[in-house]
Amino acid sequence: MSDLNNGISRRSVLKGAAVGGLGLAAGGSLLAGCGSKATGPLAYGARSVDAGPTAQNEALIAAYTAKTKNEVKYNATESNAFQNNLSQYLQGTPDDTFEWMAGYRMQFFAEQGLLADLTGVWDSIGDQYSESYKIASTGLDGKQYFVPKSWYPWGLHFRKSMFQDLGLNADNVTNWDEYLKMLDGMKKKGLVGFAAGDKGGWEAMGTFDIINARVNGYQFHVDLLAGREKWTDAKVTDVFTHWAQLLPYMNPNVLDLEWDGAMQLLLQKKAGSMLMGSWFGGNFKEQSDADYADLSIIPFPEINPEHGRDTIDAPIDGWCVAANGTNNDGGADFLKFAGDMEGVNATLAAKDKDGKLIPMTSANSGQDTASYDPFQKEQLAVMAEAKYITQFLDRDTRPDFAGPVVGPAIQSWFKNPKDVAKIQDTLQKQWEALPPLA
Amino acid sequence: MSIDLELQQAAIKYKNKQKVKDRFISAFIGVFAIVWIFPIVWTIWTSLRPYKDVRAHGVFSMPKTLNLDNYTEAISRMDLPLYFWNTAAITIPAVFLTLFFGSLIAFVVSRYSFKWNVSLLLLFTAGNLLPAQLVFIPVFKMYITLGKAVGMPRILYDSPWGVVLIHVAFQMGFATFVLSSYMKTVPKEISESAMVDGASVFVHYSKVMLPLLRPALASLGVLMTTWIYNDFFWALVLMSTDSKRPITSALGRLQGEFVTDYNLLAAGATIAALPTLIVFFVLRKQFVSGLTLGSTKG
Repeated sequence: MSDLNNGISRRSVLKGAAVGGLGLAAGGSLLAGCGSKATGPLAYGARSVDAGPTAQNEALIAAYTAKTKNEVKYNATESNAFQNNLSQYLQGTPDDTFEWMAGYRMQFFAEQGLLADLTGVWDSIGDQYSESYKIASTGLDGKQYFVPKSWYPWGLHFRKSMFQDLGLNADNVTNWDEYLKMLDGMKKKGLVGFAAGDKGGWEAMGTFDIINARVNGYQFHVDLLAGREKWTDAKVTDVFTHWAQLLPYMNPNVLDLEWDGAMQLLLQKKAGSMLMGSWFGGNFKEQSDADYADLSIIPFPEINPEHGRDTIDAPIDGWCVAANGTNNDGGADFLKFAGDMEGVNATLAAKDKDGKLIPMTSANSGQDTASYDPFQKEQLAVMAEAKYITQFLDRDTRPDFAGPVVGPAIQSWFKNPKDVAKIQDTLQKQWEALPPLA
Repeated sequence: MSIDLELQQAAIKYKNKQKVKDRFISAFIGVFAIVWIFPIVWTIWTSLRPYKDVRAHGVFSMPKTLNLDNYTEAISRMDLPLYFWNTAAITIPAVFLTLFFGSLIAFVVSRYSFKWNVSLLLLFTAGNLLPAQLVFIPVFKMYITLGKAVGMPRILYDSPWGVVLIHVAFQMGFATFVLSSYMKTVPKEISESAMVDGASVFVHYSKVMLPLLRPALASLGVLMTTWIYNDFFWALVLMSTDSKRPITSALGRLQGEFVTDYNLLAAGATIAALPTLIVFFVLRKQFVSGLTLGSTKG
C-alpha cells in the first residue's frame, strides 16, 4: 500500500467514524480501515423491496459511501422474482455484491464458479463470527463465499395472553405427549391447535424438517437432503406417522391458506400455536405493539429422547459477491464493511417510516444482546438450546428438488395422508431422476 | 275468419315461445356476465379495504373502513412514471415492429405464389407454438455471447431492445397468420388491377394492401399490446436491472418477501390494467370489425 493510499484511508476512516457517530464502531473501523482501498463504484443487488430491509440497506450503503467515497448503485428486485432468476442473473451482468442465503443455496452457485472467493474478507472479519456461521458460509471447496447478515429461528409460536386464558404454561410443553395433550385441550375448546398453511408449497417444509430432526436426528436429516439416505427409508415413514398425529388439530383448509392465512388464525386468537420462522413477528408489530409484545416462541417439543431438542432450522441471510460482476474487489470491500461490527451498527441504526428501529438478530457476535426486545431474547434462547443448525429444507437441498418435487409431494400428502408409501416412492424416484450437478 | 284467428293464435304462440327463449338466453348470458365481472368487481372491492382490517377480521368480514389509501400507497411504492415509461419503451416499438414485419411476410406469402410460400407460412405459424419457457435459456445464452463478442455485455441482455426483439420474434408468427388469412379475403382483382397499373411490389404493399388491412391491424394491435404489456417473463429473464423492467415487475414491488398485501396488490393491478383498457376503448370499433371481417367469406 502506497503512502498516498494510506493517507486517503486514514482520512476516510476518521470521516467514517465522525459521520457514523457510533462510539462502539470507531474501534472496529480503525482496524477495518487499514485494509480498505479506494475500490471504485460498485453495484448492490437487493433481494427485497420491502420497507424494512430497504431502510437497512440504505443505511448500510450510506455509511459505506461516507467512509470510502465509493459510489454504490442500488438495484432492488422483488424476492421471488430475484430468487427464480438468480442463475441467469449471475451468468449475465450481475451486480457486484448481492443478497443471498447461506448453506446449500450458496454452495450450489459457488460450485458453478458464479461466486467470488471471500476468504480474504473472512481473514479480516472472521473473528467476529462464531464457527457455525463460518461453516454455513463455506463452499464445498473449503473457501468462503458468503458473509452472514442475520438469522431467525423456526419454532412454535403462541400468544402469551391465550396461554394465560387457557391456563397453560409453555414451559410444560417440552415433549411430544405433552404437546399432543395440549393440542387436545385446545381442540376441546373449539380452537385450532396447530395452525398451518401450505398453499405456497414451502410452508410445511419447516414441519417436515423439525419432525425429521426430532425423530431421526440431525445427521439423518442432512444426509437425506443431500441424497446420502433414501426417501423410502422407514425413518421417513415415521416422520409422516408423527406428522399425521397433528392433522386432527390443524385447520382443515391447510392447502387453501398461505402462511399468512395461518398467521391470521394466531393473530385472531383462533389458533393456539404455529410453527413458523420468527420473521413473521414483524407483522404482529405492524398490527400493534401490544400484539407483538404478546408473541412468544418455544422450541419444537422433543419426540425421540436420543435427539432431544438439539436441532433447529435457523436460516441465515447475507451477501455474496458475483464472479461475473465488474468490480469483485469492490464487492469484497463492501462486504468487509457490511460484515464488520461497524456495518452491522449502521444497519441496526436504520429506522422505519414511523421512526422506530427495525428489529434484527445479527449474525455478528458483537451485537449487544441486551438491546434485544423480549421476543428477540426468546429467539436467542431457542437458538442457544440447539446444538445443530439447519438452514431450511429448500436451502439445504438441491433447488431443483425442493421446490418442484418436495413441495408438491407434501401437498399431495395433505390431500391424502394415507398415501405415504407412494409419496416416499415418488420422492426417491424423482431424486434419482435429477440430472447430475455440472 | 277462423283461419285468420288460427294464424293470429299461432303467431302469438310463436311470439311467446320466442319470449321464453329470449329470456332463457338473457339469463344464460347474464350468468356468464356475472362470472366474468365478479373477479373484476372483487378486485376493486378488495382494493378499497385496508389489509390491516382484513388481517384482523378475515376476508369475508364486513369492512370497518373503505378508502383509497391502497391506491395512493400503490402509486408511491410502484414508482409508476418510471415503470410506465419502461413499458412504453418496450411495448410501442414491439407492437409496431411486429405489425410491420408481420404484414410484410403475410403480404408476400398470400399475394405471390412461389415454391415455398405455404411452407414459409407454416414455419412462422409453427414458431408461435413454442412455449417461451422452452427457448429462454438458448436466447439468454445467445444474448450473453453476443454481448461478450462485441465487447458490450448490455447490448441485448439487460437492455429494452433485447426484450423488444424477442417479443417481435415471438409475436410475429401469430401476426403473420392472422394477417395472411385476412389478406386472402381481399379480392385478387384489386391486386391484379394494381399490377396492371404498374404498381411495384412495394407500392402494391404500402398503397394498396396496407390501407385495406387497417381493421385487421387495429385488432391485432390491441391483442399484441395486451400480450406484450402483460409480459413479465421475458423482462425478468433477459434483464438484471430492475429499474429497466416494465410495469408488471413494479407490481411485484407491492408483494413483500413473506407478506402479500392482496389489498394493495389489487389496487396496483387495477392501476396497471388501465392502459390496456384505454387502448381497447380507443380502438374498440376497429377491433370488433377486425374480428368479424373476413368471417363472412365464401
